[in-house]
Parts: sequence; structure tokens; C-alpha cells
Amino acid sequence: MKELSVAEFGRRIAHLIVSLFILLCVTFVIGRVLPADPVGAIVGELADPAAYAAMRQRLGLDLPLYEQFFIYLKGFVHGDFGTAILTGNPVSADLAQAFPATFELATFAVIISTFVGVPLGLVAALFRDRLIDKIARVVALVGHSIPVFWFGIVGLVVFYAGLNWVGGPGRVDVYYEGIVTPRTGLLLVDSLLQGETDIFWNALSHIILPAFILAYAAVAYITRMTRSFTLEQLSQDYVIAARAKGVSPAGTIIGHVLPNIAVQLITILAISYGGLLEGAVVTEIVFSWPGIGQYMTNALMIGDMNAILAATIIVGFFFMFLNFLADIAYAVFDPRTREAAR
Amino acid sequence: MKHFSKAMFIGAAIGMLTLTAPQLQAATPKDQLVIGTSLAQVLSLDPQQATEPKALEILANLYDRLVATTADGKIVPQLAEGWTDDGKSLTLKLRDASFVSGNPVTANDVVFSLTRLLKLNQSGSSYFKRIGYSTETIADQIHVVDPKTVRIDLTDKVTTEGLLYRLALGVSSIVDSVEVQKHIVDGDSGNAWLRTHSAGSGPFTLNKWTPNEIVLLDANKAYVGGAPKMRRVIIRHVPESQVERLMLDRGDIDIGNALSKSDLETFETKSNFVIQRVPTGGFYVLAMNAGNQYLANPKVREAIAYGIDYKGIEKTIMGPYGRARNIPVPENFEYALPNPDWHLDVEKAKQLLAEAGFKDGFSLTLKTISQTPRIDLATAIQASLGQIGIKVEIQQGNGSEIIAAHRSRNFDLLLPQTSALMPNVLGSMDDFANNPDNRLEANNAGNFAWRSAWDIPGLTALAQKTSVEPDAKKRAELYAQMQQMFVDLKPALLPLFERFEPLVLSGRVKGYLGHPNQMTRLENVTKAEAE
Repeated sequence: MKELSVAEFGRRIAHLIVSLFILLCVTFVIGRVLPADPVGAIVGELADPAAYAAMRQRLGLDLPLYEQFFIYLKGFVHGDFGTAILTGNPVSADLAQAFPATFELATFAVIISTFVGVPLGLVAALFRDRLIDKIARVVALVGHSIPVFWFGIVGLVVFYAGLNWVGGPGRVDVYYEGIVTPRTGLLLVDSLLQGETDIFWNALSHIILPAFILAYAAVAYITRMTRSFTLEQLSQDYVIAARAKGVSPAGTIIGHVLPNIAVQLITILAISYGGLLEGAVVTEIVFSWPGIGQYMTNALMIGDMNAILAATIIVGFFFMFLNFLADIAYAVFDPRTREAAR
Repeated sequence: MKHFSKAMFIGAAIGMLTLTAPQLQAATPKDQLVIGTSLAQVLSLDPQQATEPKALEILANLYDRLVATTADGKIVPQLAEGWTDDGKSLTLKLRDASFVSGNPVTANDVVFSLTRLLKLNQSGSSYFKRIGYSTETIADQIHVVDPKTVRIDLTDKVTTEGLLYRLALGVSSIVDSVEVQKHIVDGDSGNAWLRTHSAGSGPFTLNKWTPNEIVLLDANKAYVGGAPKMRRVIIRHVPESQVERLMLDRGDIDIGNALSKSDLETFETKSNFVIQRVPTGGFYVLAMNAGNQYLANPKVREAIAYGIDYKGIEKTIMGPYGRARNIPVPENFEYALPNPDWHLDVEKAKQLLAEAGFKDGFSLTLKTISQTPRIDLATAIQASLGQIGIKVEIQQGNGSEIIAAHRSRNFDLLLPQTSALMPNVLGSMDDFANNPDNRLEANNAGNFAWRSAWDIPGLTALAQKTSVEPDAKKRAELYAQMQQMFVDLKPALLPLFERFEPLVLSGRVKGYLGHPNQMTRLENVTKAEAE
């Protein structure tokens, strides 16, 4: 980090903040112009106009748009995202509950996709146009073209209903609900911390399938990118020289190519991670996973704008933050970027 | 390749470890009932606020009401052990019950609960406001006679029967006034607290509700009717029909009630499952905006009634969800008239359109919630009306968008659904035969007929007259008149299909009987051992 100047670091932070503000503005405007009716959702279909108007006023929806935005912004700066209609809780409290579930799922998925995607990409490049490369390309193509929704259902039919290998929808079997007290919100971690190994195994059997399904699309992307980065390196002089000196193909990859594509890999992994958080929306519906994706979908169904806004911003922020980290990693580990920046 | 093989080996080992980890899920325990459903619309568990069907199923078991209706529509005592009626008021004697908190159920709690309903002034209060009870008058209309007796005065808009049916609704649940009063904040009648807690005297108590995830109900062992057979009831949010089907198949849930037609049909041939088709007394309706230049014309509305293939849609789309019927009174209700002669007749429909002056047809939009079976229903109506020259453009939306459009009369055609307030002609026609003030300024968005700008002074007056007619024979005649007048008016609220709620039960479940108003009680449900 010493190599990265403070000014440069500050510039990137400022960039992050501005992007976040733009995201906030755009989401707010879209949210408010949608023809959704949160008031009707609360007071019910048959409520009379007086009750309706009173609730509208209570929610501040009778104010001009700019005023609503200003109030929202003021709350936002103080960490107050408003109250969720769906739950009646502060949105921040809801997100604190939903986000760890998604985070756990996405993290599990990014680990799987890294451990599968990177080696597959490397091998595919190394054995270009051979059988393994073709297999890798098919894997990538399939992962890219088939909807997560369909994959999810098929996965459940085969591995849950048919083979009985994995747990069903939800984070844990219903009988284990409420036993583990949330500390980190990550059920796998919390169950271990509290010595509930039965629940840990049960939770693991529940997360494995949605994580694999979610990871698959990312595997496709990571494999494709790793393959092309590797191919680029394989034609470089230093690789040819290494091979000429008698270094084995595996040795070339691990000793020479990998360090050179590491920074690029970090970037695509960061992008994939952000993508997985977004992709979790569909996966969570199929697997009844109580994360941020499901929270957002349900909020959208009833026009709960505070919840939608905050959830969008959290996911957006996470995405930007990962990009920011990748950016920093680039600057720190790749001297060429620093030179260019100067 | 040495390093690489090692990485692959570790990966494979982790995979194997996971797949061979102890499989703890098995059939559901014998003393716990697990229901899979969609909890997406459950926004509150405050009994005086919630009117959504899935919330009612929960509330039915957390609270008691003064009276209840049986699955076949009879009024039976619940917290009241009996009642007397002198034509002017209804006096109810309470049984010796207690709330979960240990507080006894008293007449004060009854007064508190019904007053609270009107004070909250949300959707549920309309059932009482419509018959002459209001925040201003309620104090003079409900009286504590003694700690175990309560008297409710009748208004000139309701009979004893009409009042009793309303007292059996979920919104009339009796809450523990002592407990709720402890949690009143800023004059909210305890609403913020009661949304997520229970304070009832029902067979179950709320252990936990995580919106869109799970509801856990624990047995109330001190329940006045005896401890429920199930130690716990778990209601799990499973929004996806195919996933719910798999869970039922695997035995991870005992009851599934949010299944699509095709998923539901897969259980028809399975011997270890039972399908219940619960009649709701309500309807899937084609709402036509009578404020629209074309739809204002009764001939056009009649043409539309002749332009829909009810039988075909019933067979291919509605299946277990609906039965073709064009009068808003279920076929099996007493005094229900036979269906009018509305069926798909393209020639007749075209002729009616020509008579109305629209020989070349016209275009309309059709708004619908994108939900089974309404979205398929919309497509079928589009195809059907296309044949008679009405071009229909479908606009899908989520619940809040479509309801907002409905409330603001911002639609041409729309597909809402109804429920029956009472299991009789008056109860099922309640939404279809009342519109006291059709002016736009009346802004009566809570009224179903107003939303379609359907001006029906004659029918409204007739419904009003029927609702206070004490003589059963005369009332029967009025019931027939109401239905006939409805048909003659060429309704802007065209009932399409009688609405059923189908659900699938595992063969292990015994004693579950789906209730028409979603007030299914679970205290007598039992489960056989898993095979």
C-alpha cells in the first residue's frame, strides 16, 4: 500500500461516494415514480379514503418529491433508512437480518466458483482445442445460457427430491428454526460458535445446492476469462523461454503464468462476487432463501420503497466497494497501472 | 500437475464430505404440523388490521371470536356460550375462558376489541361501518352488562344474523385488553406491538414471525377447549409452486396451499395425498369500468358476457381454482338462481356490439396481477374477446400497482377477486350490490362497485332492504329479486368463476377442514406416524 499515494486513494474514495450518491438519486426517483401503492398495502383494499389519506400523510408521501428526497437523504446520512412497511421494523434492522443470509450464500458461491472456474480456465488454456478445452467451453456456454431459475428447479428435483443428497429450501430444516441465536447472522458460523454441530451440518446441506447453482453462472464467466488471460500469457516470450528451459506445463502455469494474471483474476473475482449478490435474487426465490433478494422482491410486490431503496443501495454499495478493492489491488500489485496513473 | 491434482483432490473431498454429511431431514415430527404457503402478503398479525387470507389463517388460531362459522356456514358459539336477541340488541354471555397471559376474558375485552377495530379505521372496519357502527357512535352501541355479559345494539342497517356473521370475522377477534394497553405508543392502540405479537385466547400462541420466512405457533396448553393435539405449527414461506410440490413429495411439509394448477394435478393420482378444494363463496371477476365510453353501454357489457369461453377456460386454466358461474352467488348457496344464458356465442356478441354502434370493434386494456391463475385467465379472455372484435391489451403488475389502479378507477378491464362476507346471498353479493354514491367526488375507493363506476341505485336500495328484512320467507324472495336485477343490469362486475382455494394434504394429516373464510382452526388436527 505504500506505493499508492494518499491523494490517489482519496480520489478513488471520492469516486466511490459520488457513484453511491448517483445510485441513491436514480433509485429514489425510479422508486417514487413507480405506480406502486404502499398505502393501499397497509390500510387494506377496503379502507375508506380518510384512513388512506391519513396513512399517506404518515408516510410522508403527500410531500413534494424534492422534500421527500431531502428527508430521505437526511435520514440516510444518519444511518436511518426509514421503516419497512412489510415488517414494521427499521429497514436497517431488516437488512441486518437479510444481508448475512445473502452474504453467506454469495460467499459460498464465490469460493466454489473460484475453486472450479480458475483451474478449469487454466487447464482449458493449457490444452487448447483439446477435449478438456471443449468441455470447459461447453460448461461456460451452458452456465451462461441457462436461466438460474431452471437450474434451481432441476437441481432440487435431482439432488433434493430424487437423490436425497441435499437439504431442501430454506437455510435449515424447520425443526431447527429459532435454536441458534444470531450473532454474526451467518448460520454456518453461528451454529459452530454455539456448538450446534447438528444444525451446522443441516445448514451446510441446505446451502450447498443453491450455492452451486448460483456459482455456476460465475464459473462460466471465471473459466472463460481465466482461459483468455492464460492464453495471452502463454504466447509471451517469458513463457516460451521457461518451456524451453524444460519447465513442466504445470510448473509454467503455477510458477509463471498465475502470478502474472493474479491481478486480473482478482478483478474478475470481485466482479463475480458483486454479480453473485445480484444473482441471488432469483436463487433466493427458488430456494426460499430469506436473504436480501427475497426481501427486495417482496418489498417490490407491495411497493415498499424504503426497503427497496435501502436494499438496492446496499447491494450497489457492495458491488462498488468490491470494484474499489479490485482497483486498489490493481494499483498496489500492478506497477504498470501506477505508472499510468501518474 | 502435482499441485493441481492436490487442489482437485481437496475440492472433491469437500464435495464428498458435504454430500455424505448426516442427512437430518426426515418426515415431519408427529406432533408438529408444517404448512407450506406464500406469506408474501402477510403484513401484520394485528387481528383488527389484517384481512389478507394467509394472515387470517394464522389469526384464526391465535384468537377466539365471540362466535365462529363452521365450514358449512353455520354460526356456532366460540367465546360466547350463547346469546339472546330481542330485535333491538344482541346479548352475549361469555364462557369462562382465559387469555394466554392468564387474564380472564371479560366483557371489557370484547368492548375494547370492537372499539379498537373502528378506531384503527383500516380495511377491516368497513365491515362494521357499512352497517352503521362508527368511531363516534360505538361507545353508545356496545355495553358491558356484567363482567361476563356484553350487549351490542342493532342498527337499522343490519339484522341479528348479519351482525353475528360479522362477529365471526377475523377482524372481530377478541384481544387481551390488559396486555394490549400496556403496549400503546403514541395513541396507536397497541398496533405496532400487536403486529408482531399475539394477545389472544386461541388454541395457539405466536412464538415467532419473520416476514416472508416463517411463522411458528406454539400450543396454548391452557386453552379453554383443551390443549391442541399439535405441539407446534410451522408455516413456512414457499413462494415457488414447484418447490412446494417437491417439499410435499419429500414429506418436508404436510400441507401445501399455494400450488399452481399443474403442480396440484400431480397429486391427484398419488394415494398418500388428499386434495381439498375449499369453496370461498367468492369469485374471480371481470371488472369493467363503466366510466369508459364503450363499457358504459349495457349492450357492450352484454356482448362481453357472450364473448367469453367460460367452459373452455374452466377446463384448461381454472381447474381446481374455479367453476364457471355468472351470478355472484355460489351455485350451492340456498336461494341461488340458475346461471343466466351467458356462454360463448360469437355471432350474438357481434350482433350486440353492432346494435351498440361498434360494429368494427374497439380496443381496451386489461389489468391483472401477474399471479396464478389470473394471468392465464387474462390471456384467455384476450383471445376470446378478440373473436368478437374487441382488441385487448394486457397490462400486468404487482398487487400494489393493480390495486392502486383499481382504487383510482384507472382501468378499462381488470381482474379482481372477492370473498363472501356471509354464506348466503346477501353475503356473497355484498361487494356486487352496493354503491350508495357513484360520483367521482365521493371517492369511495373502499367500495367494489364504485371502483368500476357502476351506478346501481336500485340494486343498492334492494340490498339494503334485504339486509334488514327479518322475515325469512320475504328475505328469500328479495334474494331472488337481487340476483335477477343484477343479471338484468348487464353487470359491470361480471362474475366469471366461483373461487375455490385448493390445497394438498399429506395422507398423515387428519382432521384438517379448510374454512371458506380462511378461518381454519387447527386444534383438532392430528398426524399419523410417518411410514
